[in-house]
Amino acid sequence: MKFRNSHAITFGIAGLMGVSSTALSAADLEFYFPVGVNAPAVATIQELTDEWAAMNPQHTVKAVYAGNYEETTTKALTAANAGQPPQVAVLLSIDLFTLIEEDVILPISDIANSDADKEWIAGFYPGFMKDAQFEGKTYAIPFQRSTPVFYYNKDAFREAGLDPEAPPASWDEMIEAGKALTVKDDNGNVTRWGTRIPTLGLGGAWLFGGLVVSKGDVLTTETGTEARIDTPATVASLEFLLELAKQEVMAPGGITWGDTPKAFLEGQTASMWTSTGNLAFIEENAEFDWGVGFLPGGDGPGAPIGGGNFYIFQETTDEEREAAMDFIRFMTSPESAARWSIATGYVAPRPDTWETPAMKAYTERLPQALVALDQLAYAEREFATFQRAKVTQYLVDAIESAVTGNAEPAAALAEAQKGADKVLGEYQ
Amino acid sequence: MSNGLNKILLSTFAAVIAALWALPFIYSVWTAFHDEKYSANFQWDAPWTIANFLEAWQAAPFSVYFFNTLILITIILIANLILCTLVAYAFVRYKFRWAGFLFALIMVQLLISPEILIVENYLTLSRVGLTDTIIGIALPYLTSAFGIFLLRQTFLTVPKSLDEAAQIEGAGAWRVLWNIYVPLAWPIYLAYSLVSISFHWNNFLWPLIVTNSPEVRPLTVGLSVFATVDSGVEWSLVNAATLMTTAPLIIAFIIFQRQFVANFMRAGIK
Repeated sequence: MKFRNSHAITFGIAGLMGVSSTALSAADLEFYFPVGVNAPAVATIQELTDEWAAMNPQHTVKAVYAGNYEETTTKALTAANAGQPPQVAVLLSIDLFTLIEEDVILPISDIANSDADKEWIAGFYPGFMKDAQFEGKTYAIPFQRSTPVFYYNKDAFREAGLDPEAPPASWDEMIEAGKALTVKDDNGNVTRWGTRIPTLGLGGAWLFGGLVVSKGDVLTTETGTEARIDTPATVASLEFLLELAKQEVMAPGGITWGDTPKAFLEGQTASMWTSTGNLAFIEENAEFDWGVGFLPGGDGPGAPIGGGNFYIFQETTDEEREAAMDFIRFMTSPESAARWSIATGYVAPRPDTWETPAMKAYTERLPQALVALDQLAYAEREFATFQRAKVTQYLVDAIESAVTGNAEPAAALAEAQKGADKVLGEYQ
Repeated sequence: MSNGLNKILLSTFAAVIAALWALPFIYSVWTAFHDEKYSANFQWDAPWTIANFLEAWQAAPFSVYFFNTLILITIILIANLILCTLVAYAFVRYKFRWAGFLFALIMVQLLISPEILIVENYLTLSRVGLTDTIIGIALPYLTSAFGIFLLRQTFLTVPKSLDEAAQIEGAGAWRVLWNIYVPLAWPIYLAYSLVSISFHWNNFLWPLIVTNSPEVRPLTVGLSVFATVDSGVEWSLVNAATLMTTAPLIIAFIIFQRQFVANFMRAGIK
């Protein structure tokens, strides 16, 4: 008797809650986002979030700044393990395999499965979708995507007698142009290098991926279980980096990622290879005429793609999922994506964004922004596997030991391959 | 004669070391007060500006963050001083079963880095509903194995006869603690407070993970907005923000410098 009563009450409450939630279809969203570009980015995200909330008064959304990419992933995974994940988050595209292994994210193609949804997903640039999919399902929606380009000082090109409208396209041209661009003082010390390719840390590994793509290979595949660290393409790429230093086109030794834009602005290098995320910073601070071109390639153009995607977490109600999808649609809509792209330099992920008046005005003022878009056709996924942090470290160590002269390229890469295979063996 | 020469050599040496040590700090002060384009390009006559500070101040709600940090370290410091004192006192004064084992257990905690416990601590906090609160940030740090260890070692050096004399005079356990042990350990308290404050002033990852609202977040989270690796680091802005957020600590150190240094010498903490 008692037992039945308590059950009746439970059902009653469940019924009430069900009715009330479907009637209002309200959801409280938490949205974690990282910031990798200059500070106004936080304000832009907050504005966009507030606008969505104003348009959807039945929902609430809280944009939570969660540090850099790594810290945001740590925070999201910690919260998910405690059963309180954010409903939606922007995390690195290459963390896909980690998130799948931890079993915390939801395939977006499972909940957005109407014909209109499929058409919408198909509307993103295919290059950006490559690392959002796994085993036939779409897990992520591109948002803040970047790719490296070749920035060069046109004044320096003129000074060296080079055509400022024709940046080097191949590795050989890079070395030729670089020799002309390098300037020495009377004592034989270099005052300006020809180019600067970051070779240290994760940034170095990212750019290295582009070199490999231009030699017609890839570092990793969509399976997440294969690392192709020791191939003819990777050996050639690493040898190219050493050749640049040997020909006195680039400073010998390791080159850091963070100081590269500063070196370019200060005139310590005539060109640099770095992310489109620097466009706004360079535009604001450069006191010389500058241009942007494709990354010079081995056998043709090639570049890596990086950056962050939207993910939806598993532990969410149907209402929350619906609201989260609506939120993502708003954030990647042409108007929102145009504002985000202009504020940060990230490459807008859909063709329709580039058709908006705001974006047209932007590319008119800063045609350099279009280069990354054209280069996208030749770009490939960034290094991503299961156990990414561990496996990438093998590659990073190999590149670093070779450029600092502590190991031969082929030997260093072979050793890295061995380490990576050992980690990935249990996933194959 | 050679004594005087030694003195001169020694002070020159000290001056060189001090200058080397101070260089990064001088650089950060200089860049903070100058335009970004001078940050890697030293010029004597570069114009001074406070624009970096204004821009940094507006990039995050720093006044709220300052207030939160102050509350946070106050809670932690008070709880630490009280709890560590009581625990250390119990270990020194009372003989009880498992005392050695319990103390060893506390010592083991010193070996565990706090980062490993983040997930577990988060889980506990979310069960009691304290995520996203200042108390939640403070909770795992309310007592400290290091503090207990330090105070226990200090209390052990207090002569037993002092304690016994006080007891003969009729002082109870509380009175003995307050009138004998605490005053004798005063330098340790100061030194420990300094270490504790500077640690929690700088703590970043745990507060970031356990909080979501700007209303409860500490200074370090605001500071991290400037660590923008994708778009090249603006040193003048970063240094202005860093100086701004560490200013209270630096000013406090300058004011209490004499006491701090004297106490550190006595306490032997490095």
